Amino acid sequence: MTTSTAVATEQYNYDIVKKFAIMALVWGVLGMTAGVWIASELAWPFLNFDVAEITFGRLRPVHTTLVIFGFGGSALFATSYYIVQRTCQARLWGGKWLPEFTFWGWQVGVGGGVLLYMLGFTQGREYAEFIWQLDLAIAVVWVTYTLIFVMTLLNRSQPHIYVANWFFIAFLLVIALLHIFNNLAVPVAWNSLESYSLFSGVQDAMTQWWYGHNAVGFFLTAAFLGMMYYFVPKQAGRPVYSYRLSIVHFWALSFLYMWAGTHHLHWTAIPDWTSTLAATFSILLLLPSWGGMINGIMTLSGAWDKLRTDPIMLFMITSLSFYGMSTFEGPLMSLKSVNALSHYTDWTVGHVHSGALGWVAMITFGSFYHLIPRLWGAKGMYSTSMIYTHFWLATIGIVLYIAALWVAGIGQGLMLRAFDEYGNLAYTFIETVTFMHLPYAVRAIGGMFFVAGILVMVYNVYMTIASTKRGVAVHVAGQAAVAR
Amino acid sequence: MANPANKNSKQVETTGHVWDDDLREYSNPLPSWWLWTFYATIVFSVVYWILYPAWPIGKSFTRGIATVTVEENGQMVEKPWNSRTQLIEEMQSSPSAVKQREYIEKVGKASYEEILANPDMMAFARSMAKGYFGDYCAACHGSGGQGNLPYFPNLADDDWLWGGKVDHLQASINNGRKGNMPAFPVQGEAMDDLATYVLSLSGEQVDAAAAERGKKGYAMCMGCHGAEGKGNPMLGAANLTDKAWSVINIPAAGSLEEKKRLIGGVVNKGIQREMPAFASRLKPEEIKMLTVYVHELGGGQ
Repeated sequence: MTTSTAVATEQYNYDIVKKFAIMALVWGVLGMTAGVWIASELAWPFLNFDVAEITFGRLRPVHTTLVIFGFGGSALFATSYYIVQRTCQARLWGGKWLPEFTFWGWQVGVGGGVLLYMLGFTQGREYAEFIWQLDLAIAVVWVTYTLIFVMTLLNRSQPHIYVANWFFIAFLLVIALLHIFNNLAVPVAWNSLESYSLFSGVQDAMTQWWYGHNAVGFFLTAAFLGMMYYFVPKQAGRPVYSYRLSIVHFWALSFLYMWAGTHHLHWTAIPDWTSTLAATFSILLLLPSWGGMINGIMTLSGAWDKLRTDPIMLFMITSLSFYGMSTFEGPLMSLKSVNALSHYTDWTVGHVHSGALGWVAMITFGSFYHLIPRLWGAKGMYSTSMIYTHFWLATIGIVLYIAALWVAGIGQGLMLRAFDEYGNLAYTFIETVTFMHLPYAVRAIGGMFFVAGILVMVYNVYMTIASTKRGVAVHVAGQAAVAR
Repeated sequence: MANPANKNSKQVETTGHVWDDDLREYSNPLPSWWLWTFYATIVFSVVYWILYPAWPIGKSFTRGIATVTVEENGQMVEKPWNSRTQLIEEMQSSPSAVKQREYIEKVGKASYEEILANPDMMAFARSMAKGYFGDYCAACHGSGGQGNLPYFPNLADDDWLWGGKVDHLQASINNGRKGNMPAFPVQGEAMDDLATYVLSLSGEQVDAAAAERGKKGYAMCMGCHGAEGKGNPMLGAANLTDKAWSVINIPAAGSLEEKKRLIGGVVNKGIQREMPAFASRLKPEEIKMLTVYVHELGGGQ
């Protein structure tokens, strides 16, 4: 083990993977804590303390940016740089400094962006709140990232490109496209932080949701499927279930996702035909999405006993289950009749989190528990029981969170459309808010469980890394003793 | 480790590609349930496209064959489905919409006296106005109309700045109100005496001699509040002789000094309050129902 790690460290650029992995955990803790804070503000509004910088409106993009781009983005940089090197048997292209540039560019972009949100500078585009200067910088970082990845692929010493890398390529290309077109804007002045979108009205809304939905599709789905396609078969020690399924669902997913974004705008001023296409393409998307889940779960078929002994596998299989559940719930909610109930309620928020916590975060945790010991040359994680603890904290947290928001969202949706015996609306808006207080409190508690889980992980990772350093010291001391 | 593939009864080949020491892929076929369900979603989508507006063609789009029957100029006509014709149909024929429309027609024709005397129409007014009050009035006046001093008067008591009859209430909602009292720079002992006099008007136990001295200063208040302090609903001037206070909370003040300080504050700073007009935001029937509702809240006059 030690010798092969030593060779691997020379053969591959692990330094950049380590950096991104650590920052993923740092942003994860901060972003999830921000999430718990704003969830608590919704339940107990006094928590904003009348400080503008920490009100819900400012902290919400801080939360989403930190967890999506800080945590998720850094995790993807780390795992994609790791996977592309190992599956191509080629060192990361770009020497030391180009990967380093993507690291610092990404971290400064995320950190600078959220500080500016707190000060009140935002583009006001959901999940793309970065001001225009940062958008330009991020575009440069992203193109560099794509270049590094593609050049490494071209330098591969393997005849075939592994499936995980297809997903990463789709992710790199589509995110570049989405980022650039969604952020086309005219700055107020060259030295102003403000800008106006190039699009207006319905077209602007549709551009935003073309971006927003495909960010979910290619950032939070395709790229994390890439992560799944490497770490699940690795951890299971078994071949991927079906090569053919991976091809078919990859192309179907890539083609169909692009059409579905408008379902975020059902029952608004958009033309009806765009609504129809969005609803039907969302239904068409169900099975291609499930292709990834089937391939992941069936990879473990014949080795189910591992679930009893391997908490890392537990993370991975649970994440695939949540992935399957939320990709079923998504098409369901994009049917116009269901959407009439769910839209503008917390059901949507619950749905997003079953994907974000259940799928994105859980597959990342599982992959990291596999990755961290290999990066630092440890035999395994410092504590297996802590991985179990993390697993249960996270799972209980997600279940509380999703169940609470089903109650809040479906309850509010039903209240807003209820008529009394005179044909008048039965409830005022504020009555629905009062109703949601309890589910909001439960949701905040669910979030606290989840944060507690990642804190356990951070400690476990810290001790793992620290133990390798001590291990080296012991080793050297031992040799010295022998020599004497 | 035993080869896991041995556990499968039917031996499946891998594609033969190997990455990173041990990453392989089986050449399993597509699961048939997966494939057939995928085909089913395609059939579902095609049917959907045939029924509803779906594909853009040049500057137009396929309309779909689904229709909606709506009434137009007294005739039932079949129209292609779109979200607008669906809304029109629902507003024309859904049970709730029909019921509400019948009642709105009824109360629209009835006078306030008739509505106030008719329990059925009153029940409808409460049901309809509860929502409008919650969405348009409660943010300032409170969900029960209890008000929020110093800006938003209590609507649940029997004290009305601008008059408590239905006509007054309707005018308040339609046009809004501007409550304006000028500031008077009265200071020191004169202010203390004036405040004492104002407090005496509503029966507070105060120093009679000071109140008598303050009466002189009250002369400048008479123009609006009247010689006896009964107020003037034409100007929105408060009645100072009752126990209801619409700007400052005198009953809650701990001491006489505190009460005088509060009155001094109003006299020195004046009052500038404004309620927005709703005539352009709500329909006449909606304002009518709100008027009845607010009238009942405060035991209107």
